[in-house]
Amino acid sequence: MEISLNFISDLLRATVRSAAPLMLVSIGGVYTERVGISNIGMEGMMLAGALASIAASFFTGNVVIAGICAMTVGGLLAVVHAYLTVTRRANHEVSGAVINLIALGVTNLLHARLFPTQRTRVAMYPVLGPPELRNVPFLGPVIFSQPVIVWIALTLPMVATWILYRTSWGLNIRAVGEHPHAVATAGLSVSRLKYTGVILCGLFAGLGGSALAMAELGYFAPNMTAGRGFIVLAAIVVGKWNPMWAAAACLLFGAADALQLRFQALGSAIPYQFPVMAPYLLTIAALAGLVGRTVPPKTLGKAYDPEAI
Amino acid sequence: MNGRRSIVPLRLGEVVSSGGRLGLAIVLALTVSAGLILAAGANPIEAYAALLKGSIGSVAALANTGVRAAPLLLGGFAVGLAFKSGLWNIGGEGQIYLGATAATAVGIIPLPVPAWLHLLLAVMAGFAGGALWALIPGYLRAYRGTSEVVTTLMLNYVAGYLVSWLLHEPSPLAEKGAFFPMSPLILPSARLPILVKGTSLHAGLILAVVLGVVLHFVLRYTPFGFRTRLVGGNPEAARYAGVGVARQIFLVLLVCGGLGGLAGAGEVLGLKLRLFDYFVGGVGYEGLAVALMTKGNPLGIMLAGAFFGCLKAGASKMQIVTGIESSMALVIQGLTVLFVIAIGFGERMRITGAEMKEQVTQEDQADGD
Repeated sequence: MEISLNFISDLLRATVRSAAPLMLVSIGGVYTERVGISNIGMEGMMLAGALASIAASFFTGNVVIAGICAMTVGGLLAVVHAYLTVTRRANHEVSGAVINLIALGVTNLLHARLFPTQRTRVAMYPVLGPPELRNVPFLGPVIFSQPVIVWIALTLPMVATWILYRTSWGLNIRAVGEHPHAVATAGLSVSRLKYTGVILCGLFAGLGGSALAMAELGYFAPNMTAGRGFIVLAAIVVGKWNPMWAAAACLLFGAADALQLRFQALGSAIPYQFPVMAPYLLTIAALAGLVGRTVPPKTLGKAYDPEAI
Repeated sequence: MNGRRSIVPLRLGEVVSSGGRLGLAIVLALTVSAGLILAAGANPIEAYAALLKGSIGSVAALANTGVRAAPLLLGGFAVGLAFKSGLWNIGGEGQIYLGATAATAVGIIPLPVPAWLHLLLAVMAGFAGGALWALIPGYLRAYRGTSEVVTTLMLNYVAGYLVSWLLHEPSPLAEKGAFFPMSPLILPSARLPILVKGTSLHAGLILAVVLGVVLHFVLRYTPFGFRTRLVGGNPEAARYAGVGVARQIFLVLLVCGGLGGLAGAGEVLGLKLRLFDYFVGGVGYEGLAVALMTKGNPLGIMLAGAFFGCLKAGASKMQIVTGIESSMALVIQGLTVLFVIAIGFGERMRITGAEMKEQVTQEDQADGD
C-alpha cells in the first residue's frame, strides 16, 4: 500500500465525510446524556431523519426544508422518548429500543410506498464557496469540496461546547444529570431541562440522518444508518461527554471507516474488519478505565423521583 | 411542587392484570397498525386475515411461526434473566453471533462420536461461545462497576466484524472458493432434527420451550433463582443476606450470554445449516422487546415470543395478499411494546428509590401465593 500525500488527503476527505453525520448526532447525544437520559433510540431517530430529508427534498427540491423536516421528525420521536422516560419514568433502554423498532419498520414501509423505484435521487446538500478553493492542495479536497452540511458538522460541536460550559443554561444542563435535586432546589424545572436535552438529541439525530442521506448519496436505503447511532454512543463515552471531544472521537471513528474501505479495496494484509472493530473496543477500554478516567453523568439512565432523597 | 402531578404514574394499568395489559397493548397496537394499513391503501381486515392465515392457518404456517419464534424465545430469556437481576443485556445480537460461530466450528468437524453426542457438543459449544461473549461485560459490571449497557452493545458490533473476518479465507471456518462469505455446511450428525416433515421446524423450538420451563422453575424455586431476584430487587438487602452480589451478577450475565449463544446455535444447527455474514438481522434486539414486554418472566417471554413469531411468519403472507410490506411486522412489534410501557405497566422498570422498594415488596407478597 503506497502512502502518498494524495492518499492521505483522500483518506482525510473520506474521514471527514463519514464522520460528519456522526458529529451532528453526537452533539445531541452529549446533551441528552448530560441531562441523565440515555437514548439508544438515536439510531431510529437518525434513520427517520434520513428518510424525512430525502422525501422532503424529493417533493420540494429545497434542501433547507429537507433539513428542517429531518430535524422535526427526529424531534418528534424524541418527544416520545422524553415522555416515556421523563414523565412516565420508563426504562431508557426499553424506550429507545422501541423507537428503533418502530423507526426501522415505518421507514421501510414508507420508503417502499414513496419510492417504488428504490433509489430515487433527490437534491443534495450543495458544495458552497468559490470553486477555485477546491483546488487548494490538501485543504481543497479535505474541506472546501465538502457539502455545506459537513462545514456545519465541523463548527457546531464548538458552539455546543461553548454553550455547555460557558452559559448558565449550559450549567443547568450539566447539573441536572449530576444532581437533579439540587437543580430542583434552585427552583428550576428538572423535567423541562430533561425534555430539552432529549429533544435537542432528536433534532440533531434527525439532522445527522439528513447529512448521511443527502451529503453524498442523495437517496434513502432501508436501514441505511446501520448502527451509526450506536457508534455515536461510543463516541460520547470516548469523548467523555464533551461535545468537542465527542466530535473528535467521531472523526477517529470516521477514520476507522475510511481506512476499512481502503483496506478492502487495496487488499491490505491487515483484515479490513480490524479498523472498524477498533472504535468499539476502544469504547469498552475507556469504560473499563484502561484509557484515562471516564465518568458518566451521575444519574445517567436513572429516573428522577422528586420525592426520593 | 409544580411538576409533581405530571410524574405520578398512571394507575389505570395496575387495575388490569399483567396479562390483560399485554392483551390490551396488542389490541391497541393492532388498531393503530390497522390505521397505517388503511392509509397505505389496503383493507386492514383482509391484511390481518392474511397475517393469521400465514402464521397459524396451516401446519406449514404454524411450523414457520415456530421457526421464527425459537430464536426469539432464547434471545428473550437471555435478556429476561438479566432483567430479573436488574441487569441490561443489550448484547443478545453479539452473543447469538458467537454462539452460532462456536456451534459451527464444532458442527463442521467430523468427530468420531455418535451423532447425538456430536449435536450435543455443538449445542454446548454454542452456549459456551455466547457465555464467552458475556465474560468481559460481566466481569466489568460485577467487579469494576462498569455499566453493562454500553459494553454489551459495543460487543455486538465487534462480534459482527469478527464473524465476517472468520468467514473470509484463509480462516478455517470459511468455505473455500465461496461466492459469498460463509462456512461449510454443518455435518448431518450435528444438525438439529426436523420435527415436522416437509417443513423447516427444527428441534431448536423444543430446546427453547424446555429451557423456558426450566428457567421458570429455577427462578422460582432454587437458591440461584432466589439470589438472582434478590440481587435484582434490592442489592443492599442481598448483600445483607450474605449473597455474593458481584459473583451472582457475573454468573447471571454468563448464563444470559450462554442463552443468547444457544439462540445462535439453534439457527445454524437447525435452520441455516451454515454460518453467514449478518445472519442474525436484529433478532437480538427483538429478544430485548420480547423480554421487556413481560418483565423478564420466562413463561411470558414464551407467549410474547410466539406472538412476535406469528407476526414475522404471517407478514410475508400479508405482503403477498395485500401488498403491505412485511416490515409492518416490525411496526406492530414496536407499537406493542410502546403500548405496554405507556399503559402504565412496568413497575419494575421505573428505577426509583422509594417507589421501587415499595413495589418490590408488593410483588414479593404477590409472588408468595
